[in-house]
Amino acid sequence: MRAVTRTVVRWIAGFTGLILVLLGARFLAPSGSVGEQVLDAVLDTGYASSVLRVAVPVAFAAMGGIFAEKAGVINIGIEGFLILSALSSVVTVARLTDAGISPKLALWGGFLAGILVSIGAAAVFGVFVIRFKSNQVIAGLAIWLISLGVAPFVSLVLFESVNSPSVGTFGEWELPLLSELPVLGPVLFDASPMVYLMLLTAPLCWYTLRSTRLGRYIRACGDNPRALDTAGVSVSRTRFKGILLSGVLCGIGGAGFTLGQLGRFVGSGETSIGGRGFLGIVAYLFGNYNPIVSVGGALLFASFDALQFRLQQIAALDVPQQLFQVLPFVVVILVLMFLGRTRIPAALGEHYDEDE
Amino acid sequence: MSVSGRLKRLFGSLVGLSTGERVLVSLAAVAFAIGAGMVVILGAGYAASCESPVLFILGVEFCYNPTEVLFVLVEGAFVGNFELGRTLRWTTLFLFTGLSFAIPYKAGLFNIGAQGQFVLGSLGTAVGVLWIAGVAPGGTAGAVVLVSAGLAFGAVVGGFYGFLPGYLKVRFGMNEVVTTLLFNFIATAVAFVLVDQYFVDESISGTQTRAVPEVARLDPQLFPDSADFSLLVLLFALLVVAGVFWLLRRTITGYEIRAMGRQPKAAVFGGVDERFTTLFSMTTAGAIAGIGGAVYVLMVVGRWQTGPPPVGFDGIAVSILASNNPVGLFPSGLLFGVLQSGGQEVQVQTGVPSELVGVLRGLIILLVATPELFRLMGKRLQRHGIIDVGTDGEN
Repeated sequence: MRAVTRTVVRWIAGFTGLILVLLGARFLAPSGSVGEQVLDAVLDTGYASSVLRVAVPVAFAAMGGIFAEKAGVINIGIEGFLILSALSSVVTVARLTDAGISPKLALWGGFLAGILVSIGAAAVFGVFVIRFKSNQVIAGLAIWLISLGVAPFVSLVLFESVNSPSVGTFGEWELPLLSELPVLGPVLFDASPMVYLMLLTAPLCWYTLRSTRLGRYIRACGDNPRALDTAGVSVSRTRFKGILLSGVLCGIGGAGFTLGQLGRFVGSGETSIGGRGFLGIVAYLFGNYNPIVSVGGALLFASFDALQFRLQQIAALDVPQQLFQVLPFVVVILVLMFLGRTRIPAALGEHYDEDE
Repeated sequence: MSVSGRLKRLFGSLVGLSTGERVLVSLAAVAFAIGAGMVVILGAGYAASCESPVLFILGVEFCYNPTEVLFVLVEGAFVGNFELGRTLRWTTLFLFTGLSFAIPYKAGLFNIGAQGQFVLGSLGTAVGVLWIAGVAPGGTAGAVVLVSAGLAFGAVVGGFYGFLPGYLKVRFGMNEVVTTLLFNFIATAVAFVLVDQYFVDESISGTQTRAVPEVARLDPQLFPDSADFSLLVLLFALLVVAGVFWLLRRTITGYEIRAMGRQPKAAVFGGVDERFTTLFSMTTAGAIAGIGGAVYVLMVVGRWQTGPPPVGFDGIAVSILASNNPVGLFPSGLLFGVLQSGGQEVQVQTGVPSELVGVLRGLIILLVATPELFRLMGKRLQRHGIIDVGTDGEN
């Protein structure tokens, strides 16, 4: 408990320090210079809000990845779960709206459908890696590649285009009174419901992993499955539960990104998910499997992703848009470089034979 | 040889599957994937809306007929010179990217970055050939200079892009699965920006480089021009495959690579340089994927353009289906060539989106990675007396 408090305090201190440094730089920057424009764009509640919004898929992917890996299963498939959830949420919303259901209800129906499909995909993945002992890296890769084929395929069959029509988003929920707070109000309390969900899920995941029986079993599964087996708990079942939780969280990530931010599914290239699941993997490596720190990592990567919308508007900065899109990936590589080796679960990627 | 023989005996029990079993698993996986694909087509045919349904089962209308799709797929891959050329064109490309996955796999490393290495390699070739085109001699000499330079540019750029994740692994301990995955996304964006900013062909719309000069193109023989396939290039690809087979089987470096893959600790204890083996296999893999990119530019499109085909990801499937064995690469590459080539025909003739090929690719990878599934099924069939597996069912 104390270690976590220390971590959180350190994070808040670091973050406040960074803001102060940026504010100082803003005062020192000559007026009208490019530096001033950049700092103005960043020191803005609009930017902070977009960072939170952009972080949603990465953060949920990271939390999903943690539950699988803590249970001892390498889950490269989270990107695939995000894609499937993103697509099925849009399909469901479109179908429900066609059936005459109110848009708001249809959105929540789509959100639920996205999660269910993601859980289904996770169950298939779980059966393969646990019951049939597939190579975990290759099976996860296969889940991604299957999703990369299925999603545009389904979209073409149903919408006659790899990109779906726009279905709308949840919009923002403004919390009364709290949203009136200066600076914090518009950032934290006038946001997409998915942002609230992310901020609530992180401590919940942390608590589940740390203090519940399921959490303890899952951690034992990854670190010392034999001990868990000796204690009379099924390793296979616990791992399966971990993978299903992974599916739930990735489902929220994919559907939450699609219905909370984008409003449609894009199936060309690497789809609209475009590697956010993989960024999630790096986020939990960054957070050393701690859900709260991992969400912090997701916010860090998102702060670079969100830059592109801001800095594009500064005419003096003539940087091509695609270069901004690649920025989070480059940052992630640099972060990993200076991170050193993380302490991975001891039995990660190993099959466990219970009847031995 | 005696050391290799002893090691083989020592680790033979750990490898698990015999060659025969692997071939069986691969064939079963393909059969299963195609069966699943037929079900997907049926489901899609039910969900799609069309003017004139082609299939009726128990009064339910379907827009696509799975058996017809399968027929069109095979016909579209083999019947006709153009069709056969198109199939072999894809096979050729898959051989390069397949090797790019297979070599590091032998060293116990996953190179999922062949796509990025392919994309940047092809860009290197296009830009490099255009750069030296002005000073190259004309005629046959020019063709030889430009083509070999183009291949070299692709190999160097792709090799460097394969070296990077290798270096990040040995220097910073970064997992190559994660870095190579991420590098694919970086490569696509970087290539786009480079072409868009510096090498764009102003005379036509879209983000692409100028076309490489005609002398640098690898012209088709025996096959029509439109197939964009040269038999000589396929032979070259097979030569590279043979070269890699020789490297892995007959050289010290190859032996060290395989030892690293089988038993890293024993290999390092036995004097294998882990850093060198990692860097070597990743760089070679990148270079070969880069050569694939060069072939794509010089033989197929003649320039670099956006939206490169996912040849790198297909290569993973090709290699895994071949049990990452260079000998198996050609049949496996041919199969995926058939899927790719026939898939294009299927889309034109029956309206089933060619993205279906991507689904099959993933299914095949998933099933090949799961030999246990087939072993359990074999056991069950044996218990019911349907087949006789013999005594190695437990193997």
